[in-house]
Amino acid sequence: MLARILRIPSWLLPLVLGALLIAAPWLGISAGTRRLLLLTCVLALVASGLNLSFGYTGELALGQTAMYATGAYLTGYLAINWVNDLALLILVAAVAALLVGLVSGVPGLRLGGWSLAMTSFFLVLLVPQFLDLLERFTGGAVGLVGIPAPELFGSRLGPLGFYVVVAVLTVAWFALIRNLITSRHGVAFQVLRESPVLASSLGISVYRMKLTAYAVGAIPAGIAGGLFAYVDKYLSPHSFGFTMAVTVLAASILGGAKSVYGPLVGAAVMQYGPLRSTDFEQYAQIVYGIFLIIAGTLVANGLAGLANQAIRRLRARYAPPEEIPRSTDPGELPPLTGARLEVSDVQKSFGGLRALGGVSLTAEPGRITALIGPNGSGKTTLLNMICGYYRTDAGTIRVGEQDITGAATHKVARTGVARTFQTPLFPEHITVREAVAAGVYMPHYVGMPSSILRLPNYRRAAAADRADVDAVLRLVGVTHLADTEAASLPLGTRRMLEVARALVSRPKVLLLDEVASGLDTDEIERLADLVRAIRDAGTAVILVEHNFGLVLSLADTIYVLAQGELVATGTPAEIQTHPRVLAEYLGVSQEAKA
Amino acid sequence: MTSIWSGLAIGAVYALVGIGYNLVFIAYTTFNFAHAQLMMFGVFVTYWGLVVAELPVLLVLLIAAVVVGLVALVEELIAIRPVKGIHAHLVTTLGMATLLDGVTRLIWGDQVLKVPPAVPDATWTVLGGRVSVVEVGLIACVIAVTAALTVYSRRSLTGLAMLAMAEDRDAALLRGIDVKRLALGVFVFAGVLAGATGPLVGPKTFAVATLGAALALKGFVAVAIGGFGSLHGALIGGFVVGLVESLTGRWLGSQFPTIAVFAVLVLILLLKPAGLFGTTRERVV
Repeated sequence: MLARILRIPSWLLPLVLGALLIAAPWLGISAGTRRLLLLTCVLALVASGLNLSFGYTGELALGQTAMYATGAYLTGYLAINWVNDLALLILVAAVAALLVGLVSGVPGLRLGGWSLAMTSFFLVLLVPQFLDLLERFTGGAVGLVGIPAPELFGSRLGPLGFYVVVAVLTVAWFALIRNLITSRHGVAFQVLRESPVLASSLGISVYRMKLTAYAVGAIPAGIAGGLFAYVDKYLSPHSFGFTMAVTVLAASILGGAKSVYGPLVGAAVMQYGPLRSTDFEQYAQIVYGIFLIIAGTLVANGLAGLANQAIRRLRARYAPPEEIPRSTDPGELPPLTGARLEVSDVQKSFGGLRALGGVSLTAEPGRITALIGPNGSGKTTLLNMICGYYRTDAGTIRVGEQDITGAATHKVARTGVARTFQTPLFPEHITVREAVAAGVYMPHYVGMPSSILRLPNYRRAAAADRADVDAVLRLVGVTHLADTEAASLPLGTRRMLEVARALVSRPKVLLLDEVASGLDTDEIERLADLVRAIRDAGTAVILVEHNFGLVLSLADTIYVLAQGELVATGTPAEIQTHPRVLAEYLGVSQEAKA
Repeated sequence: MTSIWSGLAIGAVYALVGIGYNLVFIAYTTFNFAHAQLMMFGVFVTYWGLVVAELPVLLVLLIAAVVVGLVALVEELIAIRPVKGIHAHLVTTLGMATLLDGVTRLIWGDQVLKVPPAVPDATWTVLGGRVSVVEVGLIACVIAVTAALTVYSRRSLTGLAMLAMAEDRDAALLRGIDVKRLALGVFVFAGVLAGATGPLVGPKTFAVATLGAALALKGFVAVAIGGFGSLHGALIGGFVVGLVESLTGRWLGSQFPTIAVFAVLVLILLLKPAGLFGTTRERVV
């Protein structure tokens, strides 16, 4: 019985609750309850916007209150002085809020870390100043009075009609957000939050993506403001201060910042609990302060987090996942287009330390080019420069015909350069399938609007993703783990998954950074087979490796680095007997040999 | 010229907040949202000591330093130590800031309280502008604090250990530096400094429950201008913010200073995100 309940699609319950919310007035609720539900919807919309930037992309922002105020005052003023049409004004409010989001997000996200938090905090404290400055339009400290009852398409809306409009808008917004988060964008957001380094190596522009999330989060805040203007038909600066910003943050954290529906629950608790009491005002800051400290230290993901945990436990207990048979047939790797990677005379210094002193190297498509050298010889530095993590002091780097010297990491990735990391990077709470699918996010990019509306091109891309990911998982032999959390797997499997993630983007150039370290002989064997298969498919593979035996057996060409200089180049046979390599790298001195 | 002097004086206060942010940044590579509130608390304790309890200035200074130092200690234990990562700290220290705002409001209410100056309140005319002794003392003291801290961090063993810790916590730990104790020490010191400067700051800013929020923003802009982690950067940034505020107030009207400071913040973030004296550290994989 329970097992059957647990298999119900996850969107059904929210849908039923949403229908109930819209139908609430006919279920015999009092006017007081209706008002509380109305305010819950408004607060939930604002908090939902915060979740997008804080919960999903990891940028704490307090600016929602400023966008909310913009929407509210604009709607109020226009309703009095221009045209009183709810649909039109909500649209205007949303667009205006989006603008405020962009204007504060563009500078705020430049520095990263806490600068968005502070810039947006500043923005909130500016709200009363602007209201004062524009006193002619906003009524200043007195407030904006005389907002008429809303009209929709020419007909006047009563309190009941207005409630239904608010409820429908709220349900619609949460449906859209749910679609966005469950689409491939949702996984991209999470990758971005957990590891900007990984995100940019997958071709995601960290800045653009964070800005998008923050700006999109402005839309519900603007809508909420527009609706709020009609709730009391009176606006005062008092409703849009710092306390509001903290209330929104509290609702978001309480419900679960990293959840779709959490804000609704959080907002309901806030409206039914503390915000209803008139004494609360006096102690609000103390309560919020203590709450933020406790929530920040103890509660991982609010009420939504607790619910998810409970569901997972129940699932594990009553609905064990079906055993997926381990596939034995790895399948074939489709041919890949490679490109030549040409590094010429690249130099790099860190302060006074010369890390690379003019290194040149060429990696041909369909070949494995190995880069070896003692620790500190500049191998990883070179990889990081190819990927655009470091700026190049001098020299050029080209992929095929394209010059990528000095290009940003995500741009380099978009030219077809994929890589693995010394320590495999997998964000927490992401399944193997999602982690690998993150690799095709940019190569098969589908815009947010079509993802939210599930348009045909989104469906096509999603189906293609699935097929590609399945094929790659089969190839590396982890099909049976597709739904396991990637970060929890053993090192050997994670290394294979990193190769899988790089491979699924069909790279022209593949950089493997110490991919065999920490693996046992068996795993190295499988890895070597995989790397050979990738080479045969046509990609240019660059292998940075300490395992000399593996390099000799895999590589077509070997470059040897020592102290930032190229010591030797040649085939494995040549390198094996090269006197300087023996001396510098393998530690065999010439005298001892003689 | 009078506005320039008064801008420099209020700028010195912002510089102090900025220095507090930077000290915590050096020790924890994190941001203590509540530092400005610590300073506000110091100002209120000063008010209490001088006006309510009528204690001698030196004793008040000592009390303020100890009280705010203790508050900082509590903050470190409940809001900084249990969590990791900038964003988690932003939430918990924002909580601490809000809590301190609320407590202050509960104890002292909403009204603006005048804090008497510690020295006789004479006014001098310097370079054609009028400036009070308190303001001169404030400016001089903040410059001295910055200089002393800079010298200390470069010359003393503890200072070098701090810089090592800021650069790489794990490496510092491996070198035998007790990172936790040292960081705690810096945090509490930042609190003590915030408290001890209360008698100096109070006469300029007055004691008011919204002081924390205002100082937090201006202090942040000071740091954004000077660059994170740079003490002399925070000093110069603070003066710039103070001057912008005082000059726009003088020429454009009283509604504009905060907006002008915001404009400066936006400009600096767009043109030179790392600040004037900050270093962009290249990302390491």
